[in-house]
Amino acid sequence: MIAVKRITTFLATLRWGDWSLISLYVSLISGVVVGIHYSPAEPYYSASALDILVPYGSFFRSLHFYSSQFFFLFGVAHFLAVFNKSQSYSSKAYIYLIICFPCILMLLFTGYVLRADATGYSAGMIAEHILEAIPLFGPALNNILFSISTHGMDRVYLHHVISFDLLFLFLAWDHLRRYRVMLTDHLLFISLLLLFSLLVAAPIDPDQLGLLYITGPWFFLGLQELLRYLSPFVAGVLVPASLVTALVFLRQNHRWYRALLIFLCCWLGCYLILTMLALTAHG
Amino acid sequence: MNSPSPTPTRSFRRKLLFLGGLLLLWPLLRFLIHKVPKKPQIIEVSGTFQNKIFLAKQDFIVFQEDEQLWAVSRNCTHLGCRLNYIEKEKYLECPCHQSRFSRQGEVIRGPAAKPLPRYLVERTDTPSTYLVTMS
Repeated sequence: MIAVKRITTFLATLRWGDWSLISLYVSLISGVVVGIHYSPAEPYYSASALDILVPYGSFFRSLHFYSSQFFFLFGVAHFLAVFNKSQSYSSKAYIYLIICFPCILMLLFTGYVLRADATGYSAGMIAEHILEAIPLFGPALNNILFSISTHGMDRVYLHHVISFDLLFLFLAWDHLRRYRVMLTDHLLFISLLLLFSLLVAAPIDPDQLGLLYITGPWFFLGLQELLRYLSPFVAGVLVPASLVTALVFLRQNHRWYRALLIFLCCWLGCYLILTMLALTAHG
Repeated sequence: MNSPSPTPTRSFRRKLLFLGGLLLLWPLLRFLIHKVPKKPQIIEVSGTFQNKIFLAKQDFIVFQEDEQLWAVSRNCTHLGCRLNYIEKEKYLECPCHQSRFSRQGEVIRGPAAKPLPRYLVERTDTPSTYLVTMS
């Protein structure tokens, strides 16, 4: 018990927020570099050409991919580590920061879709069908956000490079203004990030007919499995929205704090089981 | 220092602007929802049928049987993933949720509920070249 407490205390002292922010800087810079050779008109060709034809293209694509993943993962760890401190935030500031998470996930997701390989294309089409399933506003929302079957990657690209970034900056502006991080203080972390990207290639599916089982992005797997059993609106909208709503109301002074905490643990536990099922049960 | 309270005229104009914006919401929503129907596309495809049975393209698969030709869409009617033809089992399968369809496009196994769109295929004067009408 003491050991667990020590580990938890140690984890809470790590600089997750700093690492998350540094990863964001690297992600933004490498995103601009990758964008030089990426074309939404030829998404798969340009993404695979980055890996095969462009000098150091594979490295920069990996750097953009992994720095973005680390930005999200360290961001989640940071939220858990400083959750108690966040209780002093005003409701508005807290809600803004919570909404940052779905916003970051949308940035990661559109990045996955943009490479337009079998996984990316399928994930994009699934997202399009989920949005279309929303009563009344669904078609309009899809027309604005994805609409891949009609407009290819144009809109996904627009939102990946501009809209979601602006939304994130708007939501996190106050928070980022308050906590400054200097690149020079994290040279070791940056070196490790560069080394990791040099050694581990970012995923992309080969161009071949007949891929029999496609697993989407890692954070999408549970949802992909749930879509097997429930309607797109319930599985793709209501279930994820319930998690965000629970997080929004998760304040220690809230009278349902304990119930919300239990709900969140159950939600995440179920999502983990669904993810494991998606990885193992149908391959 | 307190900012001066708006004059009745300004307040009225603000309300008018708000109401005007509200009225614009409906046409804006209709505009955004509207989907321009796709014009029928006639696509020329060429190639040899694998095992004299099927010719797979990006958006559809052409089948032939007893001199008859037809094509079915490769977009799964469940969530739009691209279907593959499993030659051994003689069905199309979705790689995302494993829905299955017959060569005629009928649903064999869910979660997909709707059949696949079928397209007309015509032979051309050039050997191994076909016209597929996607409507």
